[in-house]
Amino acid sequence: MFYPRWIANLVKGPAVLRRRVASRGTKAMSPARLFARSLAIRHLDAGSCNGCESEIGLLGSPIYDLSRFGFSFTPSPRHADLLLVTGVVTDAMVPLIRATYDAMPGPKLVVAAGSCAIDGCVFRGAPGVVGDLAEIVPVDAWIPGCPPSPDNLLDALLSLVGRGAAGAGEVG
Amino acid sequence: MPAACEQAAREGHKVLHIFPEQGSVRVALWQKDGRFDEIDVGPGPHARPSRRGFPSMRFAEEQEFTPEAFEPASAEPEVTGEGMHVVPLGPVRADVAEALRYEMNVLGDQIHGLTLRNGYKRRGVARLMQGSEALAALEISERVTGTSTVAHALAFSLAVEDALGLAIGEGASVLRSALAELERLHSHLGDLASLAASTGMVVAAADLYRLRESILRFAEHWTGHRYLRGVVGPGGWRRELPDVSPDLASLLEEAEGQFLAVRRALDHTNSFLDRLHGAGRIPGKSLELVGVVGRSAGVAEDVRWDRPYAWYPELCFGRRPSGFAAGDAYGRYFVRCEEIAQSIAMLRRSGAARAAGTQPPAYGGGGVGYGLVESPRGRLFYRVALRGGRIETCRIRTASSINWVAVPPAVANHNILQDFPIIDASFNLAVASLDL
Repeated sequence: MFYPRWIANLVKGPAVLRRRVASRGTKAMSPARLFARSLAIRHLDAGSCNGCESEIGLLGSPIYDLSRFGFSFTPSPRHADLLLVTGVVTDAMVPLIRATYDAMPGPKLVVAAGSCAIDGCVFRGAPGVVGDLAEIVPVDAWIPGCPPSPDNLLDALLSLVGRGAAGAGEVG
Repeated sequence: MPAACEQAAREGHKVLHIFPEQGSVRVALWQKDGRFDEIDVGPGPHARPSRRGFPSMRFAEEQEFTPEAFEPASAEPEVTGEGMHVVPLGPVRADVAEALRYEMNVLGDQIHGLTLRNGYKRRGVARLMQGSEALAALEISERVTGTSTVAHALAFSLAVEDALGLAIGEGASVLRSALAELERLHSHLGDLASLAASTGMVVAAADLYRLRESILRFAEHWTGHRYLRGVVGPGGWRRELPDVSPDLASLLEEAEGQFLAVRRALDHTNSFLDRLHGAGRIPGKSLELVGVVGRSAGVAEDVRWDRPYAWYPELCFGRRPSGFAAGDAYGRYFVRCEEIAQSIAMLRRSGAARAAGTQPPAYGGGGVGYGLVESPRGRLFYRVALRGGRIETCRIRTASSINWVAVPPAVANHNILQDFPIIDASFNLAVASLDL
């Protein structure tokens, strides 16, 4: 019948797509296949010094211009494919990181950007600092650097979606 | 505020910081004659420091102000009425932004109140520094605010040098001023770029970002780090730098021309100016604001001129650069533009100074020292107590932690929701230096 299928499509997505994803298995699909041409990034500051934000902000500038790869920043976690976390991960941010991660539709990626999000950098062991993003949500990639330069960030994002050799170089 | 502070303010001294120390509350003063003083106002409880009618900073400074020492803050006035609703924003907000929560009381489009809630990114800087080695504390201070690395390292170094009585050579002084001005240049360019982006001036934003990137690349070429980390330290500097004077000269030449072109274009764009004039005007003139925000609201304080450090006695002379009295977004834009030109002129004069030979500092002694510098966002104060080469306590008072109190009244001053991103970008204060 048409009507039940229409309802099912609304609720679960079109049957054709369901079958395809199910046959490959979401887990088996590499990020390259899933996000290669378009990646919506939600940035989350979990206690940074604003150095990482400064560098990430430059990704949109004409020198790096991440939109030429189909990448974009999104204000809503509901539209996001990738969670880009900076900062030391403070206790106050832990529930917010979880909430943002849960609000993102699957499949999704998480990237820890900057030394702070990886191990806390110089703030390791400070009161109220977790220091490791991987303790809160599953992390797919780590970008070291204090702060990581826009070049490093772009290279890492491209290789994460399987386009490492696409040439992250400058626009010029 | 403790009565002694009000007395000192009446006598023309400035209150730099109020902090609890060994069961008592101490006040660091910047006296009229330029010297520092510290008074003990007893264990308290004291009334909390004056917010000048801005009670909306609920969590600010609670780390510094222990509950025993100060009376609890009075409850905020509620903004209520028919049709009034709250527009929450953050702490995960905008495209790329620091964690801070804004709660705007809105009627229609008009903003009638703003409450800021901070504390999401508190990293326990002061407690982390306690008992650490001086160099480890320096590393931490460089990471308090990433875009003000040199200012923090310099204020820390001045405080340690003050405590230990270290003298530094002229080469190091010139180098410090040059690095500080380079930092101011990239920070102000970034602020202007986000202001241009918030008003929809994509071409100007692109030009300013490109300019900022060229400064950051020069910084990397010169010091090996885009944000100038690991250069300034107690006793002078921490490593040798290559001679890049010709590169600096050509960079300044190019940057000045490009910046003037962007500024001229913006100054002749009505839609841009129209969004700035009158937006986010800070009400009242008696505020103790600092930095760009203060200078755009009629408070003519600039530590570089009022209490010159490093090589600024040679750089700051003659007529003081004119400030602005309106205190609106245009004023902040104007003051930043003027200061970019001023920083370029100072960098030309100092050149890419090449400090020869490193001076290993001796951290053996102890004592209390003060460091006061003009960071890109304004006055930055460090008070460091040392004992046996280790940090006993380190008290930091940043410009942003002072200036954030002006944001709620400025936003709730006849602005509509659509003005909010512009006002926010025109302040461009750091949350990292509020949540220490």
